[in-house]
Amino acid sequence: MDRPATPPAALASGQAAPAHAAPEGARATAGRVNLHRFANPGRFLRLSGQLLPWIAAAAALLLGLGLAWGLAFSPADYQQGETVRIMYIHVPSAWVAMACYSTMAIASASALVWRHPLADLVAIECAPIGACFTAVCLVTGSLWGRPMWGTYWVWDARLTSVLLLFFLYLGHIALVNAFDDPARGRRAGAILALVGAVNLPIIKFSVDWWSTLHQPASVSRLAAPAIHPDILWPLLVMALAFTLLFAALLLLRVRAAIYAQRARALMAARAAVRA
Amino acid sequence: MTRKRRRLWILLLCALGLGSATALVLTALDDHLVFFFSPSDLAERPPPPERLFRVGGLVETGSVERAEGSTVRFRVTDGAKTLPVTFQGLLPDLFREGQGVVAQGRLGPDGVFRATEVLARHDETYMPPEVADALRRAGHWKPGDPLPGGAPSGTPAGAPRPASGS
Amino acid sequence: MSAALRACRALIARDVRLALRHGAETLAALLFFILVATLFAFGVGPGPETLARIAAGVVFVTALLSAMLSLDRLFAADFEDGTLEQLLLSGLAAELLALAKIAAHWLIAGLPVVLVAPLMAVMLQLPGPAYPAMIAALLLATPLLSLLGGVGAALTLGARRGGILVPLLVLPLAVPVLIFAVGATEAAAMGLSPRPHLLFLAAMLVAALPLAPVAIAASLRAAAE
Repeated sequence: MDRPATPPAALASGQAAPAHAAPEGARATAGRVNLHRFANPGRFLRLSGQLLPWIAAAAALLLGLGLAWGLAFSPADYQQGETVRIMYIHVPSAWVAMACYSTMAIASASALVWRHPLADLVAIECAPIGACFTAVCLVTGSLWGRPMWGTYWVWDARLTSVLLLFFLYLGHIALVNAFDDPARGRRAGAILALVGAVNLPIIKFSVDWWSTLHQPASVSRLAAPAIHPDILWPLLVMALAFTLLFAALLLLRVRAAIYAQRARALMAARAAVRA
Repeated sequence: MTRKRRRLWILLLCALGLGSATALVLTALDDHLVFFFSPSDLAERPPPPERLFRVGGLVETGSVERAEGSTVRFRVTDGAKTLPVTFQGLLPDLFREGQGVVAQGRLGPDGVFRATEVLARHDETYMPPEVADALRRAGHWKPGDPLPGGAPSGTPAGAPRPASGS
Repeated sequence: MSAALRACRALIARDVRLALRHGAETLAALLFFILVATLFAFGVGPGPETLARIAAGVVFVTALLSAMLSLDRLFAADFEDGTLEQLLLSGLAAELLALAKIAAHWLIAGLPVVLVAPLMAVMLQLPGPAYPAMIAALLLATPLLSLLGGVGAALTLGARRGGILVPLLVLPLAVPVLIFAVGATEAAAMGLSPRPHLLFLAAMLVAALPLAPVAIAASLRAAAE
């Protein structure tokens, strides 16, 4: 991630912005609320450029540590044996998949209320990352299910609601990219993300209910789940690693999207000068 | 109507809708209903014959017998009543005595449940085998029970302590 | 206020009249519903037991699909000829406009399905005691599908390939409707009470009745900008 040369820096300072979406909203409110200082794309680029290497390094370090610990040095489960190790990938990716949707919903809400371009970008760049983590979660879950449940796929409440989350992500990506005018796609995507956020708890709840139609509650015990520390610690390390990985990917994608916008604006400006 | 008043109306209607939805959900949750069948449910009100349904419970300890071929006979219990089950096919790894099981199939006229599909459910307890052994030796815990909260007295010194809570 | 109500009534009457004039298109959605349900009989075989087992699911899944079929034209025609922009400028609240369009969609696409569904259920050997629950569930589920579908239709307004997008967006959101509607029918078929399922459907309907028009209005404004 090397720093760009002069033109974007000139853009970042806020003057001479050729047909660029960034400043208006940010500048109007910049002084008032502290939070908005970080919402200025130029400032965001500078700050995230400094943060990104650290976050990425920490994610890589923890990922290596967690994988080695979980896959090689942690004990096998008393019942599931070695297959329990799938959990170290499966559970963190499920957590991140859900955290990613919350990030997307919050960013969409602020994009709709404050019409801020950076919030829009965050919301849109969340969707592909979330879809990937959800896909990882589904695949590892099905690989885990084969030895444990005796089948690759059961219509279990958790599996099914994650599958629907995956479809929501895909729908969001398809909708955002379906418009000739990118701004219109962003608006539609933000509304969809919010509708999905309202509906997601209902889907989760109804799927739980639907699944208990078939599966007796006596089997899933009411006792709190207990995980031994030797298994819990590598799991927590992996969860942190995945969260950092998500943060690094999101920053990277948002930065790339800002640069892409600027490149498009510069090209449009150049074409206008030539014409 | 001004913009502001219109917004107020919309907000009011949304609140009204959500409020009455909550009230309806609470009423619905009040209706406690049985949606799945345990052996006790089946003893009380047998389902119509030849209807496909699922039965669930724990595999009764000492009830599993493997007959000729790949046919397996076992009993599913919920503590109060038991139900004999036959199944032909491959059982999942986690199918054990004392563990949870869900079987789908039909109830025969002889009162034996003919399963077409058997799914095992794992509980939410994860621990290394040595710890499980130690717990079992100490008599504090047997597979199928929830993990006890504190460290049992019989755990060998130096052995990891079981997690309390999540 | 009464002016707004009169405008809504006029809008609904206009849409219904348009649908009646283009009777063939309206009938096509209904025919699709009947045909798909029939296909299931061909697909799984004519055994009455098998059919009875899947009857409730087939009725509601096909109702869901046939509702999707008519959605992509819900706002698109008005959007293309500029009527939608005029309506948005007319002073009528966009939320009320959305609600009127949804009501019209239900009258055109939902109500016929409710009327034909018992016939399909008879052909699919649905057990006798399930009928009242099924009709009640249909009466609650079809408006819900119109509301959710309306959100999808408004979001995809002006999109390339909008027609394919609508089901992709709406079907995952409609899963709870399907679960509770089928749940009510199956509970009644097994001699259990369908009440909690129907109450959940009603809860979703009263929540969606104000919320969906707000989302639709926001999407329509974005499309007309």
